[in-house]
Amino acid sequence: MKNSARDSAWAAVRGALARGTQGARAVLTRERESSVEWRDGKLDRLRESTSVGLNLSLFVDGRFSTHDTSDLRPEALGTFLDEAVAMTRLLETDPYRSLPDPRRYEGLFTGDLGLYDGPGSAAVTAPDRRAQAQALEDAARSSPGADRIISVTTNSSDSTWESALVNSNGMEGETRGTYFSLGCTTSVRDEENRRPRGGWYAAAHRRDRLPGPEPVAREATRRALLAVGAKPETSGRYPCVVENMTAGRLIRDLTGPLMGNAVQQQRSIFAGKIGQVVTSPVLTLRDEPHLAGGFGSGAYDDEGMATQARPVIERGVLHNYYLSVYYGAKLRMPATTAAPSNLVITLGERDLAGLLQAMGTGILITGFVGGNSNTATGDFSLGIRGQWIENGVPVRPLAEMNLAGNLLDTWSLLAETGSDPHPYSSVRVPSLRFDALQFSGT
Amino acid sequence: MHPKLDRRAFLSRLGAGAALFMLPASARGGWGRAALDGGRALSALPSGDGFDRFGVGTTLLRRTLDRALARGGDFAEVYLEHAVDRSLGLEDGIVNRAYASVALGAGIRVLKGDATGYAYTEDLSERALLAAATTAAAVADAGVGADIGPFVATPYESRYPVTVPWSAIGVDRKVPLVQAADAAARAHDPRIARVSVSFSDSSSSILVANSEGMLAEDNRPMGLVSVTCVARTGNRSETAVRFLSGREEFSWFTPERVTTVAREAATRAVRLFDAVPAPAGEMPVVLAAGSSGILLHEAIGHGMEADFNRKGTSVYSGRIGQKIAAPEVTIVDDGTMGRTRGSLNIDDEGTPAQRTLLVENGILRSYLHDRISAAFYGVARTGSGRRESFRFPPVPRMRNTYMPAGSRDPEEIIASVARGLYAEEFSNGQVDIGGGDFTFYLRSGRLIENGKLTAVVKDANLIGNGPRVLERIDLVGSDFAMAEGGGSCGKDGQSVPVSFGLPTVRVSAITVGGRGA
Repeated sequence: MKNSARDSAWAAVRGALARGTQGARAVLTRERESSVEWRDGKLDRLRESTSVGLNLSLFVDGRFSTHDTSDLRPEALGTFLDEAVAMTRLLETDPYRSLPDPRRYEGLFTGDLGLYDGPGSAAVTAPDRRAQAQALEDAARSSPGADRIISVTTNSSDSTWESALVNSNGMEGETRGTYFSLGCTTSVRDEENRRPRGGWYAAAHRRDRLPGPEPVAREATRRALLAVGAKPETSGRYPCVVENMTAGRLIRDLTGPLMGNAVQQQRSIFAGKIGQVVTSPVLTLRDEPHLAGGFGSGAYDDEGMATQARPVIERGVLHNYYLSVYYGAKLRMPATTAAPSNLVITLGERDLAGLLQAMGTGILITGFVGGNSNTATGDFSLGIRGQWIENGVPVRPLAEMNLAGNLLDTWSLLAETGSDPHPYSSVRVPSLRFDALQFSGT
Repeated sequence: MHPKLDRRAFLSRLGAGAALFMLPASARGGWGRAALDGGRALSALPSGDGFDRFGVGTTLLRRTLDRALARGGDFAEVYLEHAVDRSLGLEDGIVNRAYASVALGAGIRVLKGDATGYAYTEDLSERALLAAATTAAAVADAGVGADIGPFVATPYESRYPVTVPWSAIGVDRKVPLVQAADAAARAHDPRIARVSVSFSDSSSSILVANSEGMLAEDNRPMGLVSVTCVARTGNRSETAVRFLSGREEFSWFTPERVTTVAREAATRAVRLFDAVPAPAGEMPVVLAAGSSGILLHEAIGHGMEADFNRKGTSVYSGRIGQKIAAPEVTIVDDGTMGRTRGSLNIDDEGTPAQRTLLVENGILRSYLHDRISAAFYGVARTGSGRRESFRFPPVPRMRNTYMPAGSRDPEEIIASVARGLYAEEFSNGQVDIGGGDFTFYLRSGRLIENGKLTAVVKDANLIGNGPRVLERIDLVGSDFAMAEGGGSCGKDGQSVPVSFGLPTVRVSAITVGGRGA
């Protein structure tokens, strides 16, 4: 009989303490995953796995290290701990390293986070996955414009996991979850041997929250066809709307400089700007860890601290950084949490079509291609694909263009948020409308 | 929050058919969260070589392969891997963090036609191996098992022999080097305000056995030193990262090499204070020799990986034998380059690594093949079947991708441009394999005005269409160089170490995503 995840985590923590460690954290995760990939009328890949992982953080005589193992047999765990503790003793001391203050373990959220679908996960069989993947392809091939299709690849996958966290100074937590997803990628014919593809997916912690195959496959095919004949527009400053499913990229670039490591290492454009206006007043961005069914939801964070909802940016004013215990201590600020949970943006009144109407003429960005953002200076440059919009209506597809700017300037030009949050990501961002930004093309 | 969900959502968004390149976060360059902040990997501590290391003998291998073929599969394979990854980090002058992981497991693959059944286990007991084989076998659903041939070992001489394994190098040996890098960067310029240094190593031992009787082993070392500098003046910060990486041993990371990299990072960070915004729009771009080889990786390399061609979804599908570039353009993907980051003795299917001509004098010659695609096309495998770990089935991947030297004087190439960009330092790239549109991100370079290098520019994404950009390579320099480190390439949810190289070349027009005039 298997030990519970909590028992295994405790065994690791006790073993570390017995070797002279003053503090230890163990996170034990077990997971089972299954997936089917289907391509052009037949099974392409079948995958299954069951895995276990122990992540251990050690605080030894003012020194710190982390370790991973999957071998939980008592004799192997003993050797693992011996080596881990010995290695840590060879490091230099760092006064800022510690486990969280135990007061941060209090007030754990006790409601249902909607992460686990017991009956749902038990019900999925291998033939179910094949049938779903096949239904996705059938739906893609019966979409409008299907005569251009070269190839359709689909997948149906699910997983179940359980995880336990133990901090030696008085925290233990357990969580379990399930994850179901459907995906479709459609490739279509274009000029000059180009074979643009479009992808779409849906994901949920509960199986009954997944849409059917039709909307996923049709959206993938629609997106592939949208790219047919795409060309760059002349370089210039144009107003733009960023579609919800791709706007998460902008939000991640915005939150990058809010990470404790960037702030403390002087690699953040937002260093010293708490309480200041950093974006347009249209933007309110909150970290919401208790959202039911959220992909970033949890009652405690990676360090074991009880999670709580926090404003990140409120009406344009910066409220919080993402601070682990370590970077909080180095910056002499209270720790918040090391990384975003779910990011929620206050919604506006209009859907995507409404935002395009409000823009009139400009660019709809439907995808970002590569690019990067400099956390220290805020300068960014991203490849885009999208549509040229006139009078609120798409008139031709765009590709091979870049959007460039500085985070501060760009976000001050946010004019409006949409009413359409993207449902399949921990960043629940709606479509965003900006005043004129710099695009480069021909 | 479950650590893998965001990654999974990210990969779903990226979709099949996109691939990306980034600077490595650890020696092997896995996808996991930054190693020093945790992440998941696995452990067990076997020692010794070959079968001893895994505790799996030929009898059990044969039994596992038998079980894998029991439902009528055409081919079965067992991939055993033992990998130890370690990392040491310095921040704010203190060597204050370390990470270690040990992974041991087996991946079992069954092919039926070109369909794949795959299962892995971290438990190498007979019970667990047979259970995984049963799972993978389900890709086939009719027929009876096949005979497994006698195992014949694949011999070779290693390109990266291990004389002193990384496991013999304690933290205490690395600490002085990490400290020396920190000191060198700080001493280089008073404006260097923050330095972080990481020293990572990885040792991976693999054993592949298949139902055709092939048996092959490899021991793959990798080392990586990375230095990040933050320069500060007034309220402005600029950063630069430089690193050294290869299938090297500890002795290669001399104080001289490591401090040179640290000083380069400091130099690069400080020079960005002088930068003007990069220009916007289509213009001639001269790519500096070395790390600009990222262009080849994105513009053509991924499109030549035969899984996409086999499916008809690459922009290069059906174009073998066609002229796609100027006669001076030859492009090679080479797994045989000594201890270079992307080199291999054998690929992850056991096929000996080789040098593969992708483009010869402007003519498209060969795709990069794994077992499935080579069988599909009826050609020889090119030793390109790679995987991140035992948790993944192999797919065709690049190794070290480069363009050999041409005939032009690099100075003349620069002098030939009236107004354009000289691209020197890159951080990441991405490609849409079907549409052919690709990007690579310029961290820094120079303007070219009237044939002369002038102001420093920074932070611009370059975007183009692969086949069209290759057609526009019109001058090839005589100064070939490989990138110092290479990086990590992600595709199909798997990350593998690669490298690339390029002589100075001119591309007559490419879209530069800056903000300047």
